[in-house]
Amino acid sequence: MYFVEFAWLIPLIPLAAFLFIGFFGDRTPEGGGYVAVGAAALAFIMSALVGYEILSGTHGAYYENSIPWLTISNGVVLNFGLYLDNLAVLMMIFASFISMLIFVYSIGYMHDQGERKKRYYTKVSLFLTAMLGLVMASNFLQMFIFWEIVGLCSYLLIGFWGFKHPKGDKASVAAASAAKKAFLVTRMGDVALLAGLFVLLNAFSSLDYVTLFDPANIALVDQSTLALGSLLIFGGVIGKSAQFPLHDWLPDAMEGPTTVSALIHAATMVKAGVYLTARSFPIFVQSTDVMLFIAIIGGVTAFYAATMALNNMNIKRVLAYSTLSQLGFMILALGAGGYLIAMGVADGTPITGSKAFGYTAGVFHMMNHAFFKALLFLGAGAVIHAVGTEDMRKMGGLRKRMGITSITMLIGTLSIAGIPIFAGFWSKDFVLEAVMVVAEGSGAAAMIFMLLYILAMATAFMTAFYMFRLWYMTFGGEEGEASKHCHGEAEKVMAYPLIVLSAFAALSGFLILFGFNQALTFNWDGPGTDFVIGGGGYAMLDVLEKIFTSPFAYLAIVVAAAGFYAAYRMYNVKDVDPGRFNKDGESALYKLLQRRYYFPQFYDAIALKLTYPVALAVEEVDRKAVDGTVDGIANSLTGGSQMLRRIQTGYVQTYAAYVLGGLILMFVAIYLVGYLGGL
Amino acid sequence: MTDYLLSMMLFAPLVGAVIALFMTGDKLKYARWVALVFSAIPLGISLLLLATFNSDGPFSSSFAWIETASLKIQYLLYIDGLSMVMVLLTTLLVFLVVLFSWEEKERPNFFFALILGMQTGLLGVFMAADYFLFFIFWEVALIPMYFLINLWGGPRRHYAAIKFFIYTHVSSLVMLIGIFALAFQAANIEGWTQLSFAFADISNVMFASGFQVLVFGLLFFGFAVKMPVVPFHTWLPDAHVEAPTAGSVLLAGVMLKMGSYGIIRICLDVLPDGAVAWQIPMIVIALVAIVYGALACIAQRDLKKMVAFSSISHMGMVLLGIATLSDIGIAAGAFQMFAHGLITAVLFMVCGIVGHNVGTRQIPLLGGLAEKMPNYAAFMMFGFMASLGLPGLVGFVAEFNILAAFYNWGNAEGMAWVIIIGLASLLLTAGYYLWAMQRSIFGPVTDKVDVSKVHDVSVYEGVSLAVLCGLIALFGIWPAFAWDLIFPVAEGLAAVWGVI
Repeated sequence: MYFVEFAWLIPLIPLAAFLFIGFFGDRTPEGGGYVAVGAAALAFIMSALVGYEILSGTHGAYYENSIPWLTISNGVVLNFGLYLDNLAVLMMIFASFISMLIFVYSIGYMHDQGERKKRYYTKVSLFLTAMLGLVMASNFLQMFIFWEIVGLCSYLLIGFWGFKHPKGDKASVAAASAAKKAFLVTRMGDVALLAGLFVLLNAFSSLDYVTLFDPANIALVDQSTLALGSLLIFGGVIGKSAQFPLHDWLPDAMEGPTTVSALIHAATMVKAGVYLTARSFPIFVQSTDVMLFIAIIGGVTAFYAATMALNNMNIKRVLAYSTLSQLGFMILALGAGGYLIAMGVADGTPITGSKAFGYTAGVFHMMNHAFFKALLFLGAGAVIHAVGTEDMRKMGGLRKRMGITSITMLIGTLSIAGIPIFAGFWSKDFVLEAVMVVAEGSGAAAMIFMLLYILAMATAFMTAFYMFRLWYMTFGGEEGEASKHCHGEAEKVMAYPLIVLSAFAALSGFLILFGFNQALTFNWDGPGTDFVIGGGGYAMLDVLEKIFTSPFAYLAIVVAAAGFYAAYRMYNVKDVDPGRFNKDGESALYKLLQRRYYFPQFYDAIALKLTYPVALAVEEVDRKAVDGTVDGIANSLTGGSQMLRRIQTGYVQTYAAYVLGGLILMFVAIYLVGYLGGL
Repeated sequence: MTDYLLSMMLFAPLVGAVIALFMTGDKLKYARWVALVFSAIPLGISLLLLATFNSDGPFSSSFAWIETASLKIQYLLYIDGLSMVMVLLTTLLVFLVVLFSWEEKERPNFFFALILGMQTGLLGVFMAADYFLFFIFWEVALIPMYFLINLWGGPRRHYAAIKFFIYTHVSSLVMLIGIFALAFQAANIEGWTQLSFAFADISNVMFASGFQVLVFGLLFFGFAVKMPVVPFHTWLPDAHVEAPTAGSVLLAGVMLKMGSYGIIRICLDVLPDGAVAWQIPMIVIALVAIVYGALACIAQRDLKKMVAFSSISHMGMVLLGIATLSDIGIAAGAFQMFAHGLITAVLFMVCGIVGHNVGTRQIPLLGGLAEKMPNYAAFMMFGFMASLGLPGLVGFVAEFNILAAFYNWGNAEGMAWVIIIGLASLLLTAGYYLWAMQRSIFGPVTDKVDVSKVHDVSVYEGVSLAVLCGLIALFGIWPAFAWDLIFPVAEGLAAVWGVI
């Protein structure tokens, strides 16, 4: 007996919770909150057991088990099943673990929400179900089904306060609008992803991972088709993981409860895109151009998003931009690692393990980010809960009143900023290193990667700056006006998850010293020889040597320290006035950042200035031209409206007579024709 | 045995209709019970047939009817997988509509009699295996709908009803010409002394290509008006806006499918060369209908009119699938008929409830209904999500396969990019549904109409909606239940054109 045989139960556990809370939530304590926590905990335990089996290699490279779902044509079968490999189980473990902690925290955070709690816990349980289903799926179609349900859940949760908002009608309107925006913008990506599935289905007559990843099958499909399919699938990633230019839904998504933001940013939604990129590696690496494109999108997003966090005053928005930026890092790392592998695939000489560790870096950073971002959002939630505002200008000095929150948030900040020994340091260093490896090559692509490296360094600086800015504005210095109303530290049920998460945010990076990179590999029989995507097994000393003998690692540390120092001077010591750099908020750049590079207006223009007028024009044409013609013909045939009016006032019997008469005529005609024709 | 079962299923509603008419005076309140019982009978029989389909199907039944030296019209009924699914949809929706209309106050005897009478017509269309029979049922289905709109409809009901009647009647006549042409030409070619209208006889005849193209055009026009496709669609929004909810549900849920069913059953089967000649025009029409319908939805202010236009867009999807002339496409088109039938029933019920309970369906006048009518809001959201093709629900399976088939076709023709048009409609669809929800159920509670005393979904409405939503999820999670019935039929049809 193996645990994987029961793996199919894992997504069903939160699904059962979803149904149970949906029907009986209002009769259970905390609106079903404990049920949700219990389901997530059980899902986590089972994921861990299954994960242990997969990661220890009990089932070889992967465990696959599918049943036919729909035979859409002869020989084309769409399956439904499980594909569990390192990547899948890693996602399962941290998605369920972090969800569990967020649910625990929610019991405190949502306590005052009355009858809404039931709605909340049904939706988050479905969210976890969908995320687990997504990462465990055995094929692209099943993945897409859960992918869309993840999108639905984020729509429901972002719009959670779309009616009856505690802060009033205006906030309800904003929440409903943000939910719609999230769904529509990500759907643009989803539509591309759907097209990608059509391309692959057409080429492979299957959407199963095992079929699509088989080098023998890949060899039968021409390069341009694979590249097209890859780019379209990556289109889905751009939407879901909020990469440039489909990123602008994520800041608006802050309208949801803060716990939902934590869920979306750490454990579910946006991680699905990174997962899909990693998952699709065997297809993506068939083209260097695709991987270059992916790396560029990632690098640009990382930099671009970080700039918007620099001067934002809303604590949640800063965290939202930082998520965008960190997702960019992950995508950049995957693109850089994949680029090297793609070069190897192209000339038939596989790049072995240790060089192409961009994959490892990307997945590792995704995991670490899950811990520190969940921590930061939950910490921010505790602050907002305590002071009743999201505006950091009104905060400050909270470290005295909220000791646990301030310390745990500081750990999260140190981690995301990439300060040594904290989790973020290790994986961010890997990301930068992975880009540098490609940049050290020759040719135009190497130049581009060098640029991306510089962008990434600049991003690292900005990250440290805006995160410490956030921490100092919230917890440091004098008490702000809202801080005075702070009613003390968060209650225990909210504080404990923070403590647990801060332990992970501090320490999870060390895993890499203990052979964890084995868990961050993608076993795939590529062309030529067998090889493993990701780092080949290096030992603790190798890793340490690799990092601490590289000048670039020190450069990254210096850059992060510089960011910290700048924030320290501006927002803690306050001997440098930030207004010096932005003409006290009057500079054009400052406004550009505040307005998010006018992306919201751009989206709105597409909807309101392009689509809606076209729709109105269609309506007009429909009414006047198309229907007008019909009425015109009818009137001219019936001698004007007189005739119509006479028919309209007719009685039931008249119609019955017409119809009966018609039928009789028909019979007569048929008999006549029959006799004549039969002569 | 099945001989009688088929006829019983077909005529039980008609018997019920007659009985319901007699429920006058004191007995008026029993009309709905009559309707319930006589719509439960066909539902039960169709479920029985479904259960035995794999072992005993396809079912058929035949009696000689009008037979002279020169003429053979038979009472032929036939239920293959495609018919089975459509029959199931019909019996189910009629039953649920009766339940939904349980509290109908205005002349319930006549109201339920019309619904039952219509059911016989609808079932007959999906079961007939003789052109003559097919046409009679086609017309029979039309008449009760006319009365439902004309007598129970909204302010402009007379205009809408007569427009519906004349428009679809004219198209029926064009179709009739096509049917006669087929029958006479078949007799000519085969040298039959008796003119036969049986599907089986005529489908074996090899018609000349030119003839096929011409007759395909006639029949296609007849069916296309019924579906309806742009530009022959303008009767539909008017009819829906004025029709009572029960009428709208059956009109969009079942009656529109008569058109697409006819295309699959008759046009594709009998006139394969005509289909090839008409393929590009059909695809163009379908794409126009899909995008045009979706755009028109965005502009609508009346919730029900928006849903009516969405039907045009979604029936365009059906035509798109059929027009690929591939097994996947045809099967997916038929599956979409089924999916749309279930989903659109929810949508029209939702429109009906808001019109009845709140007193208006104008989206700009609504707002914040989720607070006042939470169950209603949940059903509306479910229906809208199903209609915009959310995976896990039945509509997605249909759309996925239609668009996959369309991509395959485009790819084979060297213009894979055409898929963009189909995909764009998915965005537009999501756009109008989400926007409508944002304005009607979210945000602050409206102050433009009085909703202080508004009540949520009633029990009868709730049960009907819940059953439909359950089925939408069931067939979304396990579409093979319906797909495996439909696919062999599609495969048989597509074999003519080879693997595309």
